[in-house]
Amino acid sequence: MSLDARRITHAYDDDNGDGNGRGVADGGTGPAPVFRDVSLSVDRGDVVAVIGPSGVGKTTLLRLLGLFAEPDEGSVAVDGTDAWAAGERDRLALRRQVGVVFQEANLFDASVGRNVEYGLRVRRGWRERLRDELRGLVGDRDRPDAVREALDVVGLADYVDQDAGSLSGGEAQRVAFARALAYDPNYLLLDEPTSDLDPRNTAVIEAAVADASNRDIGTVVATHDMNQARRVADRVAVLLGDGLVEVGPTDRVFEDPRDDRTRKFISGELVY
Amino acid sequence: MSLIDALAVFADAAALPVVEFPFESRYLLSTIYVSLYVSVTAVALSTFASVPLALGVGFSEFRGKRFVTSVINTGMGFPSVVVGLLVLVMVSSQGPLGHLDLVFTKRAMIISQFVLATPPITGIALAAVTGVREDVRDAAFALGGTRADVALTVVKEARYGIATAVLAGFGRAISEVGSVLIVGGNIAGANGVSKTRTLTTAIRLEARQGRYELALVLGAVLVAVVLVVNAVVVRLGDSKAGTGGGLR
Repeated sequence: MSLDARRITHAYDDDNGDGNGRGVADGGTGPAPVFRDVSLSVDRGDVVAVIGPSGVGKTTLLRLLGLFAEPDEGSVAVDGTDAWAAGERDRLALRRQVGVVFQEANLFDASVGRNVEYGLRVRRGWRERLRDELRGLVGDRDRPDAVREALDVVGLADYVDQDAGSLSGGEAQRVAFARALAYDPNYLLLDEPTSDLDPRNTAVIEAAVADASNRDIGTVVATHDMNQARRVADRVAVLLGDGLVEVGPTDRVFEDPRDDRTRKFISGELVY
Repeated sequence: MSLIDALAVFADAAALPVVEFPFESRYLLSTIYVSLYVSVTAVALSTFASVPLALGVGFSEFRGKRFVTSVINTGMGFPSVVVGLLVLVMVSSQGPLGHLDLVFTKRAMIISQFVLATPPITGIALAAVTGVREDVRDAAFALGGTRADVALTVVKEARYGIATAVLAGFGRAISEVGSVLIVGGNIAGANGVSKTRTLTTAIRLEARQGRYELALVLGAVLVAVVLVVNAVVVRLGDSKAGTGGGLR
């Protein structure tokens, strides 16, 4: 059971502006691909850190893994099923196995509880959702246990009724993490989840990543913080230039990199 | 006894000991009823058409998008008398909708006000939904939302702007004189009950006949009606987290 990027090549999303979400391979005349021929796999329970400098395409890689867009070339498979060869309904089911946390919390203008409940809510039928809304009008709405449990993981169970707009940046990011965790995904994609956070909130998020791994959730975390990669990841993928130059166990990649570009990047030398 | 008659009896009984109105309560109540019935119906229909239209235009890329946007914006300033004239031509016995026999009816007034209210509601709703950060749409999608879920989330996030759009459309509809006069005819029955007479056309009529006292009272009622409707819409749009939350 794994989430796989198979030999994907991709330029910027829809660089030729034809609205179909595909880039250069679609005949566009946009810039050169962000990366070429990238393969990356994350197993359930595994934590993979994608490291590389800003602008190298870490976010784009995560968006492709999250099925936001179809790669120009190659494929993305969820538990062995090629997502873009599948029909739209099947792809939605595959997409719903993957949770995403962005660099910004991107919370909705609602309470913390309603934010965390969102993923569960969209998985219900319209009739059930409408009934829930009508009950909400008279203050009789049930809150699923999963909401409080997910908030508990990030230490914010008492914030369930608080307005999301009143949270600090760190708290908002922790709620965003809980929001992705609440519907029990099989895979989590974290895009620089702690880049704007203080050490305390960073520690909470990193502990939550470990907790997710214990729950058998496969996690890909994109980060330019190499210390964080060492702390949280079982394996590290190094994205430099226009592709992955090295993928391997965290300790081995940091202590004995096999690619010279990896060694230079880790040591802080400019590589491109 | 109709609802208007019953309310008129109640109003007369409640007010007569205090103040003597310069008109019959039945006249005022029926005029308010026609104004609200026509404007609220037209704005409700327009909202159901405009919000999906704003979402469609705002979130899709197509040839001529800029042209469509400029048509919507131009429509905001479209002369109401011209709209009334066009609607009258459409519903007249010679027009394509002549067989529906709509001339000088409330339904014709609703059509006219729908045409007038749709551009401002669409234009302001378009600005509101395109103002919702793309990050929020991404979050809804990433959490497993379908396209309908994402659209609903955007509407929810843009609810204050959409409420403003609805109010702008209602303001244009309820304060309208020219088009409702042309297609409605400003008709009141011999018993004083309005058939197609609205507050605005009644004010115009009373002022022309020199009954300024009555015209001023009708004007005050019109302002009060607009204030009440604004308060209700703002309250609905202000359903905060935890107390409301909508279908998002």
